Amino acid sequence: MINIDQYVYANKLLAVHPAEKSFLALATMVACLISTSIYTPIIAMVLMAGLIIFKAGIPVKFFSHLMLLPITFLVIGELTIAFSISDQPGGFLYHFAVGGTLIGVTAQDLNKAALLFSRSLGAVSCLYFLALTTPMLEIISVLRRLKVPALFLELMSLIYRFIFILLDSAASIHTSQSSRLGYVTLKSSFRSTSQLFYALFIRSFQRSQAVATALEARCYQGEIRVLEKKFPRSMRNYVFVIVVEMTLVLFNLYLGGGKFFG
Amino acid sequence: MAETILEAEDIEYSYADGTKALRKVNMAVHRGEKIAVLGSNGAGKTTLFLHFNGILQPERGRVRFRGQDISYKGAKLMELRRKIGIVFQDPDSQLFSASVLQEVSFGPMNLGLSEAEVRRCVDKALQATETSDLIDRPTHMLSFGQKKRVSIADILAMEPEVIIFDEPTAWLDPRHAREFMQILDELSQQGKTIIISTHDVDLAYSWADKLFVMKQGQVLTEGKPEEVFCRQDVIRAADLNLPWLVETHFEFIRIGLLPPSSCLPRTKEELYESLDRVQRNIG
Repeated sequence: MINIDQYVYANKLLAVHPAEKSFLALATMVACLISTSIYTPIIAMVLMAGLIIFKAGIPVKFFSHLMLLPITFLVIGELTIAFSISDQPGGFLYHFAVGGTLIGVTAQDLNKAALLFSRSLGAVSCLYFLALTTPMLEIISVLRRLKVPALFLELMSLIYRFIFILLDSAASIHTSQSSRLGYVTLKSSFRSTSQLFYALFIRSFQRSQAVATALEARCYQGEIRVLEKKFPRSMRNYVFVIVVEMTLVLFNLYLGGGKFFG
Repeated sequence: MAETILEAEDIEYSYADGTKALRKVNMAVHRGEKIAVLGSNGAGKTTLFLHFNGILQPERGRVRFRGQDISYKGAKLMELRRKIGIVFQDPDSQLFSASVLQEVSFGPMNLGLSEAEVRRCVDKALQATETSDLIDRPTHMLSFGQKKRVSIADILAMEPEVIIFDEPTAWLDPRHAREFMQILDELSQQGKTIIISTHDVDLAYSWADKLFVMKQGQVLTEGKPEEVFCRQDVIRAADLNLPWLVETHFEFIRIGLLPPSSCLPRTKEELYESLDRVQRNIG
């Protein structure tokens, strides 16, 4: 997460209007999720990967590492969809027997699993595009324009700010515990961890009071109002997004179900 | 003498657990003065400061701003908080936003200014603290010194008349401390009234017009730096040290390098000069 945050502030699409980037990411995600063809999400993924690597300048290694993260979850989910249980061998492309029951894969299930796999990766790549090109606060400013309640947005931005301080505090407490052999044995690790959380809680509580005092000293009256960064709008980007989405939808219609198996 | 801008009269305050934080504190600050409040940790400096812009209300006594008792309600309180800004010790407890622009614009936005006005205040404050180039940087990627500057810009953007700095040089390295003192000098030249709390007796001695020494919620003594630091008993009672200039000066008199009548130097240059003079007279 911290790594993503570092890359996002250095990415080359930082100056592009956050609403345009959010629009592209969300519309493409919808196109992936409604797709009945396995090719559409793959095309979307290639497009997003291209934008992330070549346009935003995110290192290929880091991006591919990120893409591998959801694979584990995906594979487990896929297995449960692809394999089914039956007592008749008919319909199975491949099967084996455990006791009296047959476990195997059917063409229909395989197609379903393949479609789910490509949809998921397509949608994840869209989210990564947003996460790697648009800082949190700008996503929040887009949400503000979409009339999301101010309370949620204020909480989001405060949490985002204080996550880093929390992690810093946790790291320094951990270092000071380790330097006093707090994590040598399993037992002492458990004890140190519980003390770490206790200390963190106290610190967070104290800091939240200090922050409230400091806000009050600057005339806080129950609502956080601030200036937000202005971005130039580009009609070209909107046209680009619309063309991309229409192409994806047309692809989907033209290619139809696009079956791999059977 | 200039107008008394801020005044605490016999204020008393105790914390929820019953500890007395302030005991009959009196303090008068004149417009344009450079005030240093000295005292060890827990002497009540921060608690006193929180009374000056109405965050805390005294149990007894009163706080006056420009001769009038301060009001703890609505628009008047907001006006007071605009006129009296506090820069807190730990910038991580003051900076609430992950964006420098959002952070600095928070104060002026609360004053109900137009967007263009707010923008002007922010730009001016960032320029004064030399942080204009940080406007697009996220707060959590700034160095400690940069965060400190942004926390000062926070307050400057509200264009206060009195600025209170709580332990401003704590945790700053010598370079950043020096740059901070330059910002203080500039603010002082613009006619702002400045109050700092510190344990750094050398800084207080050379910089301040007037010192207050606090201990356990009381003001032990007040006066010009050279007067205050001549009262060694009080300085010791407040768990403070003597500034090296004062100590060296007295030591030089004791071993006969300087005549007993020579006046206390305010800067090291003044000390070297009087040594020089004595040497030349002998020669």
